[in-house]
Amino acid sequence: MQLFEFEGKQLFKSCGINVPQSQLLESADQEVTLKLPLVLKAQVLSGKRAQAGGILVVEKMEDLRFKIEELLSKTINNEKVEKVLVEQMVDVGKEYYLSFSYSTATRGPVLTFGKGGTGVEEKGAESFPVDPLNMTLPSTIVEHYVQFTDTITELWEVFTKYDLELAEINPLVVSTTSVIPSISEESSISNGKIATVRQGGPRNDKRVYALDAKVILDDDADFRREIKFPQRNLFGRPPTEAEIEARKIDEGDHRGTAGSVYWDLRDGDIAVIAAGGGGSIVNMDALVTFGGRAANYTEHSGNPPREKLKKLTKIVLGKPGLKGCWFVGGTANFTDIYETLMGFVEGLREIKPKPAYPIVIRRGGPRDQEAFEELKRVGRKEGFDFHIFGRETPMTSTAKIMVELAYGVK
Amino acid sequence: MSVLVTEKTKVLIQGITGKEGSKAALQMRNYGTKVLAGVTPGKGGYEVSGIPVYNTVSEALDNHPGINTSFIAVPNFAAFGAIEEAINNKIPLINVLTEHIPIADSAKAIALAKQNGVRIVGPSSIGIISPGIGKVGSIGGDDPRGVYSKGNVGIISKSGGMASEVSWILTKNGIGQSTVVGIGGDILVGSSFADLLVDFEKDEQTKAVVLFGEIGGTYEEEAAQLIKSGKFSKKVVAFISGLFAEKLPQGTKLGHAGAIVYGDKGSYKSKITALKAAGVIIAKTPDEIPELLKQQGTSDK
Repeated sequence: MQLFEFEGKQLFKSCGINVPQSQLLESADQEVTLKLPLVLKAQVLSGKRAQAGGILVVEKMEDLRFKIEELLSKTINNEKVEKVLVEQMVDVGKEYYLSFSYSTATRGPVLTFGKGGTGVEEKGAESFPVDPLNMTLPSTIVEHYVQFTDTITELWEVFTKYDLELAEINPLVVSTTSVIPSISEESSISNGKIATVRQGGPRNDKRVYALDAKVILDDDADFRREIKFPQRNLFGRPPTEAEIEARKIDEGDHRGTAGSVYWDLRDGDIAVIAAGGGGSIVNMDALVTFGGRAANYTEHSGNPPREKLKKLTKIVLGKPGLKGCWFVGGTANFTDIYETLMGFVEGLREIKPKPAYPIVIRRGGPRDQEAFEELKRVGRKEGFDFHIFGRETPMTSTAKIMVELAYGVK
Repeated sequence: MSVLVTEKTKVLIQGITGKEGSKAALQMRNYGTKVLAGVTPGKGGYEVSGIPVYNTVSEALDNHPGINTSFIAVPNFAAFGAIEEAINNKIPLINVLTEHIPIADSAKAIALAKQNGVRIVGPSSIGIISPGIGKVGSIGGDDPRGVYSKGNVGIISKSGGMASEVSWILTKNGIGQSTVVGIGGDILVGSSFADLLVDFEKDEQTKAVVLFGEIGGTYEEEAAQLIKSGKFSKKVVAFISGLFAEKLPQGTKLGHAGAIVYGDKGSYKSKITALKAAGVIIAKTPDEIPELLKQQGTSDK
């Protein structure tokens, strides 16, 4: 999950990184106690905020209120501005880029450092692999950018302490108005060991500021991160009721997953219940290729119990205007097909009005034959328009069948 | 021969008393794999389907020095500790089923494995199967016999379900497999496509390899580079999924943590371009794979 700038800066501050003095506003009526000049920053998750007019400078007190109002009335890249961060302006000398992230190329954390601002990659930022067992500062940085070593060490602390996927400062700046006299360089050069830099005793260079913060949390570490953040809007919109309900299915129940990944898609009319992290994407690719409009994306995996599938089915088919339902998956390794399909049927029975649209099912794996026999019986007896396919039918070819049945075209 | 899982494979299961661990234990044994022992802290002295359980890995090794593979099926919060224990005991092959391991823990585990010269396959790996010889992990479920068949095509897949689906498609078309490996769909994996291609290159049984990749990360591009450099000389057919996902807003999370695209990095196009430039044949749907393999003249027939 990505954090807003103000949340990211809270994490930065907690580990000693310098950030400008600030206030968070949700309304222009709140009193601003900071001194001019100020920078107003719309709190949105999308990039290119500055180009979209999301950052305003205030030099005169009389401009403050209407500029705050201007930002709060804005929508930036489909995202409604709900909060504005007011910051003390910092006199900026040079701008740098600094981040920690994970790289598939080195299969571990990397430190990236270079010139800051926009288009960092073109400016030749350099990435240094970091040993996660014993982080040491790259010698290039210790030799040439000694004033940043504390900030880098602190950002590493932020990155590891809070289990982040990305901790990025862009720009990292050296203020021209020095707050504290600069540190003596030689005392910081110390084999690049974090601990030694710390023990060396130089105070943090107070002229170095993180002017922005981009932080992405590792969701898989939520269980051990002490600080919690509220769920945020994605796709430039708040989560739908269905998305919120779907997430709850897996909460506190680790037996497989069904609902942790669920997205409502705009203008779709084919409900999709797909299985498997890999197979689901393959099948969605096929559905789009054959002209199908998916109403949602969801996947279940890891042998979820019947109840989970029942709940998920009720959410997926709870939408109005559906023209078809596609329950699709490959040949499962260990997911019990009978249990998951019976969960589907139990959910299906509770949909009002009773679905008259075609329901295409393609699945393979443990107990699939048993499941198909039961489905055929249920379809006949209860009047569902089931089209059942097993492992002998290519999975992606049922996308075409689904599209033809749903839209009545050949 | 086959890769990773051979006649000599002797397995330890960490987390053997859990739901997935105990199930996989029975499956592996039924498929003819030698499962010597299990570990669950605090459950030493118990048995699971006749397999003795120990409190620690070193205790298990003391009693069963033949162990050369560990299968890890513990909850995500305990995974790093379990992997670390296996590494410290120098078990040469560690297959991790556990999903949703914090990425920091995966990074540390991978670095530690490298330091100690042992290999991790996973996390989030469905397992490894050498049809007719044995299997490690949940791959193939209770009875892999219908889906997997012995032959000379290797499969490396980010997706567990698709490892199985692709094997079934091949088997249905009379093409058997040498070894099928689920490498997992996480951002950081212990063994990449390229790592395993090196093993398949050395394996006489393997005549061709199928790669099942998806958007995100750089493992497909890394494989393309290896193939282009000539270090892998056998035929390769690849399928890449995720075109649909690229239409979603950037950063949208799907089930596989690694299937996430920021900017152009890890995009469908970048992978296809790199693989094609290395001479890899691209399948547009998984069902085309047998035909493409046969055209190459490298299948069983």
